[in-house]
Amino acid sequence: MKIVVAMRQLADLVEELEVNADGTDIDRDFVKFVSNEWDEAALEEALCHKDDGDAEITVVALDEPDVDQTLYTALAKGADRAVKLTGHDPEGWIRTGDRAAILASWLERDDFDLVLTGVQAADDLDGQLAGVLAERLGVRHAAVVVGFHDADSAVQVEQELGGGTVAVSSLELPAVLGIQAARQTPRYASITRIRQAQQTQTIQEVEISAGGSLGGTVRKISPPKKRGGAEMLEGSASEVAERIAELIRSKGLARS
Amino acid sequence: MLAVLETRTIFGGETEAARVIFYLLALATLLLFFWGIYRRIRVYRVGRRPAGWRWLRRATKYDIPDVTARPGVSKSAAVIAANRSITKVKKPVGLAHLLVFWGFIGLFLATSILSLDYDILGNASRIVTGHTYSFFRGPFYLGYNAVFDLAGLLAIIGSVMLALRRWFSREPQLDYTRAEIPEGGYSRSKIVLGDQVFMVGLLLILVTGLLIQGLRIDGEGFPSFERWTWLGWLIGKMFASFGVGAASARSAHAWLWWVHVGSALAFIAYLPFSKALHILSAPTNLVVSDPANIRRLPAPPEGAAGYATFADFTPKELLAFDSCTKCGRCHYVCPARTAGAPLSPRDFILDLRQWSDRNNQIPLFLDSEDRPTPSGPLAGNGPLAGTVIKERTLWSCTTCMACVEICPVGVEHVPTIVQLRRSLVDRGEMDPTLQSALQNISTQGNSFGKSARMRARWTKGLDIPIPDARKEPVEYLWFLGDFASFDERLVEISRTLAKVLNSAGVSFGILYEDERNAGNDVRRVGEEGLFEMLVESNMRAFEKADFTRIVTTDPHSLNTLRNEYPAFGLDKEVLHYSELLAGLVYRGKVELKPLGRRVTYHDPCYLGRYNRVFDAPRAVIGASGCELLEMPRNRTNSFCCGAGGGRIWMDDSFLEERPSVNRIREAASLGVEYFVVACPKDYAMFSDAVKTAGLEESMKVVDIVELFSEALIGADLVEA
Ligand code: SF4
Ligand code: SF4
Repeated sequence: MKIVVAMRQLADLVEELEVNADGTDIDRDFVKFVSNEWDEAALEEALCHKDDGDAEITVVALDEPDVDQTLYTALAKGADRAVKLTGHDPEGWIRTGDRAAILASWLERDDFDLVLTGVQAADDLDGQLAGVLAERLGVRHAAVVVGFHDADSAVQVEQELGGGTVAVSSLELPAVLGIQAARQTPRYASITRIRQAQQTQTIQEVEISAGGSLGGTVRKISPPKKRGGAEMLEGSASEVAERIAELIRSKGLARS
Repeated sequence: MLAVLETRTIFGGETEAARVIFYLLALATLLLFFWGIYRRIRVYRVGRRPAGWRWLRRATKYDIPDVTARPGVSKSAAVIAANRSITKVKKPVGLAHLLVFWGFIGLFLATSILSLDYDILGNASRIVTGHTYSFFRGPFYLGYNAVFDLAGLLAIIGSVMLALRRWFSREPQLDYTRAEIPEGGYSRSKIVLGDQVFMVGLLLILVTGLLIQGLRIDGEGFPSFERWTWLGWLIGKMFASFGVGAASARSAHAWLWWVHVGSALAFIAYLPFSKALHILSAPTNLVVSDPANIRRLPAPPEGAAGYATFADFTPKELLAFDSCTKCGRCHYVCPARTAGAPLSPRDFILDLRQWSDRNNQIPLFLDSEDRPTPSGPLAGNGPLAGTVIKERTLWSCTTCMACVEICPVGVEHVPTIVQLRRSLVDRGEMDPTLQSALQNISTQGNSFGKSARMRARWTKGLDIPIPDARKEPVEYLWFLGDFASFDERLVEISRTLAKVLNSAGVSFGILYEDERNAGNDVRRVGEEGLFEMLVESNMRAFEKADFTRIVTTDPHSLNTLRNEYPAFGLDKEVLHYSELLAGLVYRGKVELKPLGRRVTYHDPCYLGRYNRVFDAPRAVIGASGCELLEMPRNRTNSFCCGAGGGRIWMDDSFLEERPSVNRIREAASLGVEYFVVACPKDYAMFSDAVKTAGLEESMKVVDIVELFSEALIGADLVEA
């Protein structure tokens, strides 16, 4: 099975993010970029399938800050091929719609059975990438996937519904899956292995000219307003306990 | 005339046939002995030799800093001759061993001299001149007997002492219970039996040797010159007083002689296959062991991530396995074992030895472990790190060095443990918490998962400026380490140190966001690539800065900066802040007002054992007018807090009692109110331990700089 894993770079959330001078984006100059954790789960799930059988894994990502690190790490973990798509502004904010368009125009030329990507990302909290991409490619799509099994020309997907219910359905291949979690925590690639990958493997660069942006323009973004904050309870243990009990009662969380 | 008489015939009453049998037996013994030794040496020869023969003994001792300086051959020889590595703890045991050691060397010499005279000189002279020459006569004979009787007596006294300890002592180090219990169970009764055979064998050889001497003298009718053979004479007299006449003495001698010779020969033949091997391997191992090895970890094997196969081990490591006497000292002091973790450094070495012996088809009759279902070192297959030695066992080590410090035969456990960890890291097998710490370190350069730009945020609350060593020349470059930079409780102490340095007029600066984790623990976790990456980043930062020497708050950073970074080009002196503070006191730069508190001090492993800084922190404590009460385990024998070697990033909930809690209880028994530390990780670990032990009311953890600062500027202690 040919699996493509689409990965994205995001500002590391441990950084203190600031809004840029014109108030239309975060200030990208000094922040460190890391790969999206759900994409990491998608890669891990793909690698587990490779460990079990004969999957062939291609990781693909748009040119973004520190993306080479992410791609080499994927190669070090066992991906077979890494592709970096260029032809856009690597420093700017790539909107999900544009991202889907760029990925789609590359995927149209490439051969694949499954495309996996993270179900969401910090800049795509409503998880549109997988759906939009599937639509553009004209293939099937499932979101919030927590596992899948290969079944000839179809794939059995497990999706998480609310309250821990898992739905199992069958999708015809090819398809795009938005991965919620892998069966295990993403594996560790030692720096030595990553460095080895850097020396022995190459990232294939493909230029994509997808035309102008599809999304609207961002007029303004602003940092979240500080609200309330935490109230520190002071006093002796019994006083604090008293206050907590009172609060719980006043919120109607317990019958008194 | 006397000169003619003062001798004895070799092979006194034995027949010609007996002589032939003896020589045949001796020949067989020697063949077996050398075959056994050859088998073992052949194993060492397969070992991986890092570079030429230099691994065997470093050529000069001047290419390295102090703590890694290797004793000269003569010094090693002196240590061995005085059994100093054994006597450094448990004096009586060491003394008993010293008696056996020299007693047997004496007896071995005695036998060798006899053989030289009778077998070599005697035969050679007969063949060449037709006359049999012998120097085994006259004053030489008398002196020989007088001296070597003493050797025999010493050996007997020592052996009896050791045997009594082995039989009756309940010391935990003599208990062979494993720290890691294999699922299908195990039995070490053959190891116990091996010890007994070794000991009883020695006693048998010694006692029969003396008895036949007495019987011989009795049988010869007590020629007066044999008084020089004082012990034999006494024993002969004893026989005589029991009514054993000359004739019966001669016949008893005839068969007892066989017991003596038989057991001696058997012992020699058995030596390469038993615990007795340490007679040869231990001194050799002491000569080739190297204090640099643990402080400056050896690189992984060429082209491999870590140890995976037998061929990865160096001859030195293989020799070390064979040197272990199972004395259990390392087992006893190990904080992991004490805490209930499945790691005992003794078992680690014994398992590897058994695995090595099995791999090389070295027959072992005793001295080996049995398991009903083959697992661990007896398993048919499976990876070295993971099957032969369990993952959790490897991850339990805090790299505290207590085992290496105490081992009487110079085994270096930690570098081997790290080599095995390296292959676990390569396979990505580790605690999830460790994995995220490593990931944080590789993206942001710190284990806290905070942005690298936040590293100097602690300076915010200060009203004094902290110079930027990248922008202005300073004398001391202060390397904080992750904990002192990021941990909420510790940044306050960092501020205190900044204030102290400032008011003492010390020229210092920091690297701000360019400092990275120094990598000491990253390397000990087994993530060599990440370590190298961190060294490169820090070296780039050092190049940007202008400074004379480095001072660090973190003993772990101190170790790697001082001992490992020079190989990557660092050529600056590296100090611990306790050394800097002590220097201020000694040079009269500061005036301290006495605080008059009763305190105890915990030696951090990487400061004390690793880098031998024991006195500077004590000097600071003394200068601040506190009374120092030492814990029973202090200085080289200090007990690890449990955080080292990357343990701080791993789950410790499976431990029965955290080492830090064990340590705090030790301090509590002294009745002191202050537990003084000189390491940021210690501050964090022991502050938690005090709470776990429920001692918050009676004991307070303080950093030496807090004492110093209070004595200097009367500032109050930071609330823990
Ligand atoms: S270094 Fe410390 S924790 Fe590790 S095996 Fe030795 S004594 Fe135990
Ligand atoms: S390794 Fe050293 S300290 Fe440990 S049991 Fe063996 S000889 Fe004793």
